[in-house]
Amino acid sequence: MDPLLLGLIVAAVTIFVLFSGVAVANGLLIVSTIFLLVFDGVRSLELMPEILFGKLDNFALLSIPMFILMGASIASTRAGADLYEALDRWLTRIPGGLVISNLGACALFAAMSGSSPATCAAIGKMGIPEMRKRNYPDTVATGSIAAGGTLGILIPPSVTMIVYGIATETSIGRLFLSGVVPGLLLVGLFMAWSVYSTWKQGGVDALGGRSFTWKQRFEVLPRVLPFLAVIVGVLYALYGGVATPSETAAVGALLCLLLAIIIYRMTDFSQLWVMLRDSTKESVMILLIIGAAGVFSYMLSSLFITQAIAEWIGTLDVNRWVLMLYVNLFLLVAGFFLPPVAVILMAAPILLPIILAAGFDPYWFAVILTINMEIGLISPPVGLNLYVINGIAPEIPLKTILKGSAPYVGCMVLAILILSVFPGIVTWLPDLMMGTAV
Amino acid sequence: AELRLSHQWSTKDVRHKVAQMVADHVSAANVDLDIKIFPAKALFKPREQYKPLSRGQLDMTVLPLSYAGGQQPAYNLTLMPGLVKNHDHAARLNESPFMDAIEEVMAEDDVMVLVHGYLAGGFVGREKCITSPDDIKGLQTRAAGKAFEQMLVGAGASIASMASSEIYNAMQTGVLDAANTSSSSFVSYRVYEQVSCYTPAGDTALWFMYQPLLMNKGAFDGLNSAQQSALREGAAKAEAYYLAEAKKEDANSVDVYRKAGVQIKEMSQGEFNAWRDLAKETSYKMFVEDYPEGQRFLDLALDVE
Amino acid sequence: MRFFVTWVNRVNQVVGVTAAMMVVVAVAITCQMIFIRYVLNGSTAWQTETVIYLILGATMLGMGYVQRLRGHVNVDLVAVMLPPSLRKGLLIVAALASIVVVSIMAFYGYEMAHIAWAKNWTSDTVNAVPLWIPYSVMPIGFGLFALQLVADLIDTVDTPAEAIELAGGGH
Ligand code: NA
Ligand code: NA
Repeated sequence: MDPLLLGLIVAAVTIFVLFSGVAVANGLLIVSTIFLLVFDGVRSLELMPEILFGKLDNFALLSIPMFILMGASIASTRAGADLYEALDRWLTRIPGGLVISNLGACALFAAMSGSSPATCAAIGKMGIPEMRKRNYPDTVATGSIAAGGTLGILIPPSVTMIVYGIATETSIGRLFLSGVVPGLLLVGLFMAWSVYSTWKQGGVDALGGRSFTWKQRFEVLPRVLPFLAVIVGVLYALYGGVATPSETAAVGALLCLLLAIIIYRMTDFSQLWVMLRDSTKESVMILLIIGAAGVFSYMLSSLFITQAIAEWIGTLDVNRWVLMLYVNLFLLVAGFFLPPVAVILMAAPILLPIILAAGFDPYWFAVILTINMEIGLISPPVGLNLYVINGIAPEIPLKTILKGSAPYVGCMVLAILILSVFPGIVTWLPDLMMGTAV
Repeated sequence: AELRLSHQWSTKDVRHKVAQMVADHVSAANVDLDIKIFPAKALFKPREQYKPLSRGQLDMTVLPLSYAGGQQPAYNLTLMPGLVKNHDHAARLNESPFMDAIEEVMAEDDVMVLVHGYLAGGFVGREKCITSPDDIKGLQTRAAGKAFEQMLVGAGASIASMASSEIYNAMQTGVLDAANTSSSSFVSYRVYEQVSCYTPAGDTALWFMYQPLLMNKGAFDGLNSAQQSALREGAAKAEAYYLAEAKKEDANSVDVYRKAGVQIKEMSQGEFNAWRDLAKETSYKMFVEDYPEGQRFLDLALDVE
Repeated sequence: MRFFVTWVNRVNQVVGVTAAMMVVVAVAITCQMIFIRYVLNGSTAWQTETVIYLILGATMLGMGYVQRLRGHVNVDLVAVMLPPSLRKGLLIVAALASIVVVSIMAFYGYEMAHIAWAKNWTSDTVNAVPLWIPYSVMPIGFGLFALQLVADLIDTVDTPAEAIELAGGGH
């Protein structure tokens, strides 16, 4: 059979199986089993556990459970609230100080957590009720936190960047650096929209700040210092010659665990266990998808589908920006339904050679891809951050949350356009710190 | 018939070209045989190729044989410091009773060699040259292969294990002071931007890795004689090319490093002997301790002039 | 039946706790490795491989427990839209398909570990770890995962169609 046609059939079967509600990892294994059995024979099934094992037998993957543990230990304390409060007291004179400090807290928290829903939950728990109390429109209160939370996978550390680095064999340290400036750009766009939208909805009162005395401002600082210490510690380990990125994750996890236990007095064993359980749950879920996606991509490769698609796109002879537009649309649609990790693992090995052949930078593309995945996190039908917000603020209808998030999707699309016109925004920092890409 | 060949390298790599040469020859011979190449670990991870090869789920591969050293300990001799002195010596080794003995081991796993070939490598140092065992004392080092790690620990180095793709960053940040890998990896990972001195493989080189084109024996036996001889002819042509290119690769790496302003310092015969004596006390000794029957293979290898 | 479900839940709970502890141990060993290398300038040969196998083991052994917590992310769009009786049918079919592939993984995972044991295979590093040890997490992990899927299926079958709650995987 023609590999391209076979590819279409695989795609259709995969969509069908995944939409049946089966776990994503199991779905990938089911589809792989069916096609390997039909086209490569029953003996090829004995390769499946070996490939899954081989996929997970990778030192770089170590960083995923560790960065998740790092984020989870911070998220299980009242650290998010402290962070947000400190920023509030200091940024209060700026118009829209409260929503701006919320978004700032999201960005800072993102620098300690590799996952978006964790960031969203940590800041939203405190930030949403506070913004509503101070008469911010519900749309801005929920939308800003949903969107701000997505920064968790763009601002380093980022679990999805690690997965991209592994799938494409690019440098994880450089990927991390590539996300920093675009992350700040997004924060800026989010802030601008939040203030404008609040003002337009007549919330001029909300924009005015409360006043804090200098004493109040300084007394909250010590509670923020540990965060800065962790961020600096991780950056130092990463770029200061102490450890490779995969090892740095362990340092981060240890620092955050100590922070939670010593500063936030999380000495109750059951509390610690809940945190450990939740982070293990997320790690196992992600790592199993990684293993299963390895089996899936073996199947695609063995049936020559991957190669056929790459060759086919090579013969299309379209303008590289048209190609990039299609790639973005594809990622966007995939991101609507699937968790970022699954999209990256299935798409990156096929897309990257095409992207490189068209002359795009793999690190720039990583950022574009990540922003697409961020959009998926706050868009229906499967927007994980929307559900997190819904859980924190059950009294606000999901419809309002959706309406509030939509303009932030616009900000992200705008960011993709800006980064396409000025790719230097992505590459400047990594080039400065690590020299030009290898 | 169709044969599937898997390897880990890019299509620009000499090892891909060797495979491509065999594939092209076979297809030009018009014997109804087609070799489909899966480069760049598109199918299997580098270290996961030997098992499917021996079970016939994969027909061919180009593979550093020492990757399968955990399954057949004798293979560890194909990446042993100082056992091969230079490329001509490597070529003589390929025709020796030592290689016959290795091929007997392969036959146990239903594996055979189509194209023999060795690639060489050297050392880089971030702040100084690494030519003798004394130079590496106290340095954080990345070594390619277990036997090299054992020898370098014997020299007083500290070992940090990582993939060759991580060498660049580790050198840049100072996690590593020195590294040992193949000439081609030193070039393709642009390690020259981060080091001050390069000790290439020259007339005397420590690091030689046997990386043959292997085939499943059952798959070979299942072909008709026209197909088999087309494969053999293609393989013979590729083997000559492989040897010539392997030498060129070392020379090319020296050019690249020199152009990048890196000091080039060759290993002297005396230094080579010092390393080899150290290897005898460390890696050779541990090899035989772990695998007593290995002495026979080791003696065969040492007998090759 | 109930006995089986209770028993599987308990075993996976215990194994899940073990998996979480393996992650903590991996963090500790990695930090120890950095300390040895960066502060003491020593060799760190055994840690990397140990840590990889710990995380791999935690993932495989944790699968069943995560299933018990409904932690494997899924797309339940279609299921949400279906009427309760059809939804129950779909969930049962999806569970059966999962049980089949997970059992296949467990079976060939066992063969993989058994061959490594019979042929004395080791990893090709200085540690020369006997491969049957890390490989054995495959049959055990996928086996426990399959048992948990069966236990959950029994729960689904026993629950009236209207009362079934969707997992809605966390991320
Ligand atoms: Na982050
Ligand atoms: Na979505």
